Amino acid sequence: MVNVKTLLASAALSAALALPAYAQVSEVVIGVIEPMSGAGAQTGIDAKAAMETALDIINEDIDIGLPLGPGAGLPKLGGAKIKLVFADHQADPQKGRAEAERLITENKVSAIIGAYHSAVAAVVSQVAERYQVPFLAADSSSPSLHRRNLKWFFRTSAHDEMFSQAMFDFYKDMKEKKNITVDQVAMFYEDTIFGTDSSNIQRKLAGERGIKVAGDIKYRANSPSLTSEVQQLKSSGAPVLMPSSYTTDAILLLKTMGELGYKPQGIVAQAAGFAEQAFLQAVGDKAEGIISRSSFSLDLSEKRPMVAKVNEMYKKRSGKDLNDNSARQLMAVLVMADAIDRAGSIKNEDIRGALQKTDIPGDKTIMPWANVRFDENGQNTGATPVLIQVQDGVYRSVWPFETASRPVVWPIPAR
Amino acid sequence: MGVLVLLPHAISSVTILNILILTLLYAGLSQAWNILGGYCGQISLGNALYFGIGAYTSTLLLTHLGASPWFGMVVGGTIAAGLALLIGWPLFRLKGHYFVIATIVIAEGALLLFQSWPWVGGTLGIYIPFLGDSWTMLQFQTAKLPFYYVALGYAALLWLVTYTVDGGKLGHYWRAIKDNPEAAQSLGVKIFPTKMQAAALSAFFTGVGGAFYAQFVSYIDPESVMNFQISLLMTLPAVLGGLGTLWGPVVGAAVLIPVSELTRSYIGGSGQGLDLIFYGGLIMVIALLKPEGIVGLWADFTRRRRQSRPSLASQKVTP
Amino acid sequence: MTISAIAQLVASGLLIGLIYALIAAGLSLIFGLMDVVNFAHGEFLMTSMYVTFGLYLFLQLDPILLMPATALVMAAFGIFIYRTVVKRALAAKVNAGMVQIFATFGLAITMRGLAQLFWTPEYRSIKDSVVADKTISIAGVFLPVPQLAAGVVCLLAFLALYLLIQRTDFGRALEATREDSEAVSLIGIDRHKIFALGWALGAAAVGVAGAMLATFYYVHPGVGATFALIAYVTVATGGFGNLLGALAAGLLVGLVESVSAVVLEPALKQLGIFALYLLTVLLRPRGLFGKL
Repeated sequence: MVNVKTLLASAALSAALALPAYAQVSEVVIGVIEPMSGAGAQTGIDAKAAMETALDIINEDIDIGLPLGPGAGLPKLGGAKIKLVFADHQADPQKGRAEAERLITENKVSAIIGAYHSAVAAVVSQVAERYQVPFLAADSSSPSLHRRNLKWFFRTSAHDEMFSQAMFDFYKDMKEKKNITVDQVAMFYEDTIFGTDSSNIQRKLAGERGIKVAGDIKYRANSPSLTSEVQQLKSSGAPVLMPSSYTTDAILLLKTMGELGYKPQGIVAQAAGFAEQAFLQAVGDKAEGIISRSSFSLDLSEKRPMVAKVNEMYKKRSGKDLNDNSARQLMAVLVMADAIDRAGSIKNEDIRGALQKTDIPGDKTIMPWANVRFDENGQNTGATPVLIQVQDGVYRSVWPFETASRPVVWPIPAR
Repeated sequence: MGVLVLLPHAISSVTILNILILTLLYAGLSQAWNILGGYCGQISLGNALYFGIGAYTSTLLLTHLGASPWFGMVVGGTIAAGLALLIGWPLFRLKGHYFVIATIVIAEGALLLFQSWPWVGGTLGIYIPFLGDSWTMLQFQTAKLPFYYVALGYAALLWLVTYTVDGGKLGHYWRAIKDNPEAAQSLGVKIFPTKMQAAALSAFFTGVGGAFYAQFVSYIDPESVMNFQISLLMTLPAVLGGLGTLWGPVVGAAVLIPVSELTRSYIGGSGQGLDLIFYGGLIMVIALLKPEGIVGLWADFTRRRRQSRPSLASQKVTP
Repeated sequence: MTISAIAQLVASGLLIGLIYALIAAGLSLIFGLMDVVNFAHGEFLMTSMYVTFGLYLFLQLDPILLMPATALVMAAFGIFIYRTVVKRALAAKVNAGMVQIFATFGLAITMRGLAQLFWTPEYRSIKDSVVADKTISIAGVFLPVPQLAAGVVCLLAFLALYLLIQRTDFGRALEATREDSEAVSLIGIDRHKIFALGWALGAAAVGVAGAMLATFYYVHPGVGATFALIAYVTVATGGFGNLLGALAAGLLVGLVESVSAVVLEPALKQLGIFALYLLTVLLRPRGLFGKL
């Protein structure tokens, strides 16, 4: 029985196994674990389009100023192509775990990228650690993820602490440069790892900066109605609302706010639902003036034309513009491919070594980042967050003021 | 049985081992559900509560006191059983759908409470720290075989428990209560205590399964151990395999779990929902075509053989 | 808490309660007729929202104007499901209750998958409606127009269903079939025809709910699951099989939810609903208005 199995396996893998691992690799397999069904399914489907766009840049000869653009494939691996294998975790940590183990043992992936839901990323990165396979968090922003002394964990984008820090720095800049004071906020966050982490750090930062948290509303994700929640936010009297929600609740929140006549001066959101095209379409001009943290802003293309080109490529696949999530997912594949290429090998230890030495300047990315450099915890320290604001139905970067494409509109204009 | 003990040695695929472990776990969990739901006719769609209690008890004992999960399993199971008695006390007077919905809302309510309870990690959940391969602590870096054998032992134990009870006086009472409570009472069966016994037994083993699951995944949060989906997954194998039968949960789990895992793994990545269509369709078709469960097919098969070869069959049938 | 805040709380609770009742109407109707709990009820709602959305894409009409069309499509869908799934489930001789639960539950998963296949999991919404995004304010109490409209439609729907069952031959046939489905066949009523019409009616009621919901709620393959549990709890609290019980229970559930969000915390507001249900059935094991 062992023989049958081995025979089958070796038939499939003979090409890869018969040749020495260093010299000739025709294909490097990277596993991707994202939600492909359930409430987060659209994110996973968009991720697929984004990551396949990254593949085009790597595997085809497309020279637009991104890593591995020129020339087809990975030059230091003899032009080997990258292949992505997608797996669905349905937002269930157990399923994420099983899929990670399948990708590692069966598809022999050289690395794993994922996983959007932070609870799943937590489990998948543990599996990666045990099998000693690099895990790159593309789009999971829970700060607790990189604080577990994992050796094989990397994260290209900012985490919610960096994002929240940015929001409070924004308030500070508002006071110093525009003479607008934000001294009271209301928090509105869902009862998940994402919402809890986000609210904890915001509460702490508010305390440090002397900003009063007038409303502190934890709500059940995907509730049929948010009327009482919005009522409580409204009666808190806080001029600035800071929500942490996914798309469904972001839509419902905005609609309910309109219905109950709750109009704060400003809304500064912890991305997720508030930086999505679906959200804009659903709530229309109610989104006007909403500020969200982001890793990405499409109007960066005004300064860096290649961003528009990459966006065009992505749009062809998905029919929509790049957003906070899809841009991060696309970059994650590029960063990982760059490391594998520099490693010149598909040995896990070599890839990890190359990842640690990653040094991609900001202008070689589609992000407003300073650079890509991982610290000892695997966190990219150069992942500078930006704040974007919906202006005339489009997301525009409005902070940091020095790099912003548009001046911030404050307070939200009356309609 | 021998095949099941030796089988994993012939399998190098972690994926298949993962599926086998889950299959055995759900065979056991569904067997536990079957005790109350299948034999006794009290349909609970809230067993995730006991599962979650088991998972949380053993994990908290481990992270706070360093206690072995083996110990945690027993404590978790006992707490779950106690809770089942507490809940059963008022609930067993409810009938039909009123009872079913009551079990759902109690489990959902517990889920909400656990999410808002910082001491048990709230929505952040609890990581089980990895301290090296150990049977005492039931932790293994990448090895799957130990988990396989524990799951096998769990499923076998549940089967044995059910087998023993099935043939005994208690099993007789259970069936009597399910088929005709009034008649059972007139024959002197004490309905309420009998239901309570079944509920406690069922909850105990569900809690044990939850503790095992926590070790297997090494991370728990309320959504992943107390969700309504878990309750359903415990019910489905018994229903599809054969309600109130000894082999039903085993056969049902052996069909259902591999199908759901494989469809997700191999067609779920497309993001088109094909895995859901297939999985849902399968449940619907089995429920409609074989109301007595898949084990009913076996009965059909043997009956047909008997009919086609009467001489042989008549020799085989023993009184 | 100010008077106006309390008034708002009550008003919001009653409005959402009417919506819960409207969604629960179809479930209650079908149960009352044949003792079948449709575990795909949430997915029926989801389907009716997609039907509304699909019709809207073609015709560019207000969802409220599309309501009769949606109800009609859903009625046909209800008959289809009755003929293909429920009829077979009713024929089961063993484990009948479980077969009904799991046949409709399998149906629910399949419908969710089909929705994802045909519509992708993108969030959709309809903004072109006379009621959309409007709100009126009376003495500081805000009443969203889409929900007010849904509330009015809910009351009308219950009135129509009540009159239909009490005052028409069809209603009498339904009632007779419900009381003794074997006996009616002797007097020449085909019970399968009556059951199929019952499903058509139940599904049409969900169609009305879906069309109204689409004026202010997003459409997504998972949207049914959000409302399903509350619909079951509503019907059970009111008492299975009692149509007006569902209406009363819907209002009560909405009110209790609204109050629990303030008394407890918003994340725990459903605990109030759960407690309401448990308390009700422990005192009255057949729900508020169920026959004891």
